[in-house]
Amino acid sequence: MVTFAIARQTVEDMLRRKILLILLIVGVCLIALGPSLGFLTPRESSAVLRSLGLAVILIAGLLITVISGIQVIPTEIERRTIYTVLSKPVQRYQFVLGKFLGGIMTVFVMIVAMGIVFLGVLFWHEKVFAPDMLKGVLMTFCQMMLLGALTIFFSTFAPPVVNFFMSFGLFIVGNLSTVTESLTENRNPVTAIMATIVHYTIPNFGNFNIQNKLIHPEIVIKNEMVFLTQNVVYAVLYSAVLLVLAILVFDKREV
Amino acid sequence: MSAATRRRLLLAIVPLFAAVVMLQARQNPVIREMRGRERTPLIGLSTEFILGPMLGLGQAVAGLLWVRADEFFHEGDYDAILPLVRMITWLDPHQLDVYITGAWHLAYNFTDSGHRSDRRYIPPAQALLREGFHNNPTVYDIAFELGWQNSDKVRNFHEAEQWFREATVRSTTDEQGRKQPPPMFTWHQLAHSLARQGLIDESIATWRHVLSLTDAQLKEARERNDPQAWSLANVRANQLHNLTLTLKRKFSRFTHEIDFVVDGKQTKSIDMQTGRPSPPNAYLATRPNEGVPIGQPRLPALAREWETAFDARVTFPEPMVMEPRGDFAMGDGARVTIRLHDYDWRPTQLEEFTFRVDQTQTIMIDQHSVRNYAWGRTIDMSRDPKMYSFTRPEYFLVFEFDPRGTSPFIQDRTGWCGEGMTDRRFLVVKRQSNPNSPPVRLIRKVFRLTRDHILNGAPVTDADIVPNADYSRIMGEVVLSPTRRAGLAP
Repeated sequence: MVTFAIARQTVEDMLRRKILLILLIVGVCLIALGPSLGFLTPRESSAVLRSLGLAVILIAGLLITVISGIQVIPTEIERRTIYTVLSKPVQRYQFVLGKFLGGIMTVFVMIVAMGIVFLGVLFWHEKVFAPDMLKGVLMTFCQMMLLGALTIFFSTFAPPVVNFFMSFGLFIVGNLSTVTESLTENRNPVTAIMATIVHYTIPNFGNFNIQNKLIHPEIVIKNEMVFLTQNVVYAVLYSAVLLVLAILVFDKREV
Repeated sequence: MSAATRRRLLLAIVPLFAAVVMLQARQNPVIREMRGRERTPLIGLSTEFILGPMLGLGQAVAGLLWVRADEFFHEGDYDAILPLVRMITWLDPHQLDVYITGAWHLAYNFTDSGHRSDRRYIPPAQALLREGFHNNPTVYDIAFELGWQNSDKVRNFHEAEQWFREATVRSTTDEQGRKQPPPMFTWHQLAHSLARQGLIDESIATWRHVLSLTDAQLKEARERNDPQAWSLANVRANQLHNLTLTLKRKFSRFTHEIDFVVDGKQTKSIDMQTGRPSPPNAYLATRPNEGVPIGQPRLPALAREWETAFDARVTFPEPMVMEPRGDFAMGDGARVTIRLHDYDWRPTQLEEFTFRVDQTQTIMIDQHSVRNYAWGRTIDMSRDPKMYSFTRPEYFLVFEFDPRGTSPFIQDRTGWCGEGMTDRRFLVVKRQSNPNSPPVRLIRKVFRLTRDHILNGAPVTDADIVPNADYSRIMGEVVLSPTRRAGLAP
């Protein structure tokens, strides 16, 4: 209950932040303006609209997650409000979990809002409901959940600026999972070993990139439901690992 | 937190992380298969464009870059489009328009000041399309484009036929993402490519097949009251026209007494010579002395091959300015191909797509129309030294007439593959790459030139003529006996 109370308070706090609301409004506007770009490539107008919509959700989700995640704990420490919270019967792990859940719920609300606008624009433009796009929105949310856990973990010991670059950097490296995976079969054993370590230890954000499949219907994923489920489980498990690490670090931290 | 709890949490990480690694191992083959077809190397891609795809925004960045490429196109800045094409196909290997338009730019839009295409870019254009086909193997578009380039630009009709066949067995998707059969024009081009190789019966069979497909679609569309029925009816009319025309062109060579309805086998009701009704099958030989087996269509009235009396001469009045002139006893509108290339140039196929072409290579191809049995005009290569570097010591200058790609009204005189024409001096009979095709009869005259000819205007004499057999051997062609009349038998 305590965890959820902190989570609720975090959501309320975040929804009051103008920067996140501005990001949401800009994202929604960009999605709504998507059909105006379609005329430039008439044959691919549907692909442009879909790719643009999914990309806007991803960019906005990314910024919202990182901006909210890097500040969530350091701000409490800086404002000294954390003393008030921890002086009550609140465990540190509850505080970390509450902050994570609050952040993720905020991201969820914003991604869902953009997803609804995206589906609406698609329906208005193509006169068909495209439920497949929900898979893309779901995968984006899973990516953000994982990224949120990563920023929370970093925020337990790093200042916001350092956290921003570390999270962003790992997000980029994690999106190169196809490259690291191909390097695991490199002829040079040192490269292969390094690539294997990187590929299996760094969160593979690239796993969630299914935009190509959604934009081009001729691409088929073998056992798609299994693939998507495994991606969701991967995000949940990896987030759990990061949260346990965050709890362990935060528990030892002097505040 | 107690030490025991910390230990338990630390221990909990182990199975959790093991599960993560296991899941990743399970996902790897699926992701590899999903992206495995997207074979697009990073050639020519600047690092500043890598950030977008690193963030998983490949498709969006690709879409925006394509918009920018469109602006360059309208500005006529074709050079600027190519790097964008490379980037876009890397970011999103499923944008068919990008492959097709990029290959079109490469093959058609890089020209010299006389609007002659830079032939060095054709292998990259084809490699780009093949890469696109590899990345999009289920749709017809790129296979069709490969067929079209081979037919229209490369004039390799066998290769074109093979790509058109690939296109006909693939699908397309409508705006709602539903799979649809490929457009009828894939079949039309297949039929044309067969006719270009002299495979007339196969071409006719293809027209008949596509007509039956259209009939079925038309019936269905009319039952649904689909407005598309109107355009399908037009398509059907064109198909019927092409089928009838092919039949007419096939049988006209033997007799003029056939009423060329779709089955192509009925005679006209009135014999134009006697005014009396013609008997059925009047065009078939009935006597053993008609030159063909009984029951086969009779030989045409003009049984002898047409002597083309071909000749070609060339001078270089100024450095890199060529003035070819020639004679050709063929109707106005026949086109003589002029090909000037490095002595070591051969038609090649690139394994991987790259923009980089050998800038020291020279290959110029032009076509001149025949007027009043003569042809020729000035070809000025001096204004385009980047295209025509003339760095090799020797060159082949080839003057050629290939009846396969010529206009139908000329082809009606020469035959599909030149079986109705001959030349006392410059006839070449060679095997086509398709083993089912009849041999093709070309008219060809070849000179071996040096830099001295091209740059210093040294006179080109009969001593510089290369025997056709030698040139064919150098280019790897299989030459047959010139007495053979290709494709005469119906």
